[in-house]
Amino acid sequence: MSTIAFVVLIPLLLHITLTMVMKNIFIYSLDKIPYEIWVFPGIVLLVSILSAYAVLYRDLFDLRIHKKSFIPITLAPFSKFFLVAGFLVAAIVESLIYGILSMIILSFFLSQSLYWYFYLAIPLFGVIFLFLFVNLLLTISILTERITTFLSMIIILFFFMIFGTGILFEFEFYPKMLGIILAYNPFSLVLSELRGFLFSTHINWIWIFVPMITGFVWTWMNAFILKRTLKQ
Amino acid sequence: MEASITLKKVGKLVGDKTILASLTFGIEKGSLVAIIGDNEAGKSMLLRVISGIEYQEYGQIFINGLDSQKRRNKAMLSLGFVPHELDLDPWLTLEENIRFIGMLYGESMETINTRMIQLSRELHITTYLKKMVKDISPGIIKKGMIIRALIHDPEILILDDPTAFMDAESYRQTWDLLLRFKKEKTIVYVSQSLQEVEEAHDRILVLEDGKIALDGSLDRLLGSTFEYHQFQIEFEDLTDELFMTLSKLPKVKNPSRIGHSIHFYGRERGVFFEVLNAAASSVMKDIRVKKLGLQDLMDAKYAKDGIH
Repeated sequence: MSTIAFVVLIPLLLHITLTMVMKNIFIYSLDKIPYEIWVFPGIVLLVSILSAYAVLYRDLFDLRIHKKSFIPITLAPFSKFFLVAGFLVAAIVESLIYGILSMIILSFFLSQSLYWYFYLAIPLFGVIFLFLFVNLLLTISILTERITTFLSMIIILFFFMIFGTGILFEFEFYPKMLGIILAYNPFSLVLSELRGFLFSTHINWIWIFVPMITGFVWTWMNAFILKRTLKQ
Repeated sequence: MEASITLKKVGKLVGDKTILASLTFGIEKGSLVAIIGDNEAGKSMLLRVISGIEYQEYGQIFINGLDSQKRRNKAMLSLGFVPHELDLDPWLTLEENIRFIGMLYGESMETINTRMIQLSRELHITTYLKKMVKDISPGIIKKGMIIRALIHDPEILILDDPTAFMDAESYRQTWDLLLRFKKEKTIVYVSQSLQEVEEAHDRILVLEDGKIALDGSLDRLLGSTFEYHQFQIEFEDLTDELFMTLSKLPKVKNPSRIGHSIHFYGRERGVFFEVLNAAASSVMKDIRVKKLGLQDLMDAKYAKDGIH
């Protein structure tokens, strides 16, 4: 049931409540791209973000805090980095599958068809985006001990992802200084490069490598935090 | 004999409270060791530290000669741990829980299945393997946890209250299995049931405030108390005067009274007749004589101060 909700209902809900409404307000992006096409990659990533929440809650937070089944896993003969990488890869793959399925469903609702490379580029950039986002969720899942704190954190994070990474609006609409700061956070960089590639086939590789390196360092840091939290 | 587990000055702090205080001891390969002690004595923490769930603040632990912190991954391969609380994933079946851990330890599916079937037959839980853990009773889950700990065939098995939540039959089946592994595997366990420890022990460690208060076989621990017996005489009317008279008898140790009954320890059975003589004029209703056991040893006053 929850799988059907993620694959069908959430993309539909996002399309009805966000895309269908916003495209009547914005109509075009600042680069004259139809808004529903411009926002499409962001909506797909939003579905992946929502599924990553569910996956990480199920696989790590709930397992660690409520079911207590996490400890036997930590006793297996693997380093904490390997363990964190395992959670990371599993969450990225699962969230990406939900993202790809939602992309296919959402494309039926668009008024114009997408180029074939959209279907290739969105998952590829999605991996980098999720690499960062899942790392952030891993940090929260490892550091929080109470469900109320965890929920508060992910709600705040969700608002940040919607409004602070350029998923729905371009940063030019924000106050200048705030727009600059938000535009240079690693999540925004990935999304901005994805849109750059899709709509002007231009990529700035530095802004691709920076989030990737950030992701690797973050994974290592998560392994360290996990080791400290578990006192192992 | 070769040591399976060696602790060198191991200490554990929680906040600024010392839970384990500079513990140094070794556990021989193939031995069955029980750890007992009062609440908060540090028993479970000792198991957690040995099994690698938590690190020790100072000191070293060697598992089969490997430093458990420096060569953790290799050392972990030799360990199987069963915690006190139920920790199987309720949304997986019993066999999925066991298989998952087996796979993490790099066992082949064929080996996992063979071991799982064999062990579940011995513990009589074959019919529960395909059931979701949330639908199984705690005693069966605990048996499943023992199978999970044994699925990678570890040389050392560490169990925190292995028969918790179990009925009498499950208790017997579990101990039949554990005793089958005696000599083959090193088994270290904590138990709240002193009767369980008395029945199955090789060696007993009595922990008190994070330190080892007593260490040895049951016979050795009770050695100094072998000649002691506990006496209980119930009078129709135990007056203060009579209690004082009996308490002052030289061979009567640690006398106490509850209602019209006097309790005391005596080194020889002869003390009993002295008491009978001294109380000959009073009407007695009941008499009990009991040889001392582990329970008496664990009685705080006795364990700490001995019988005076």
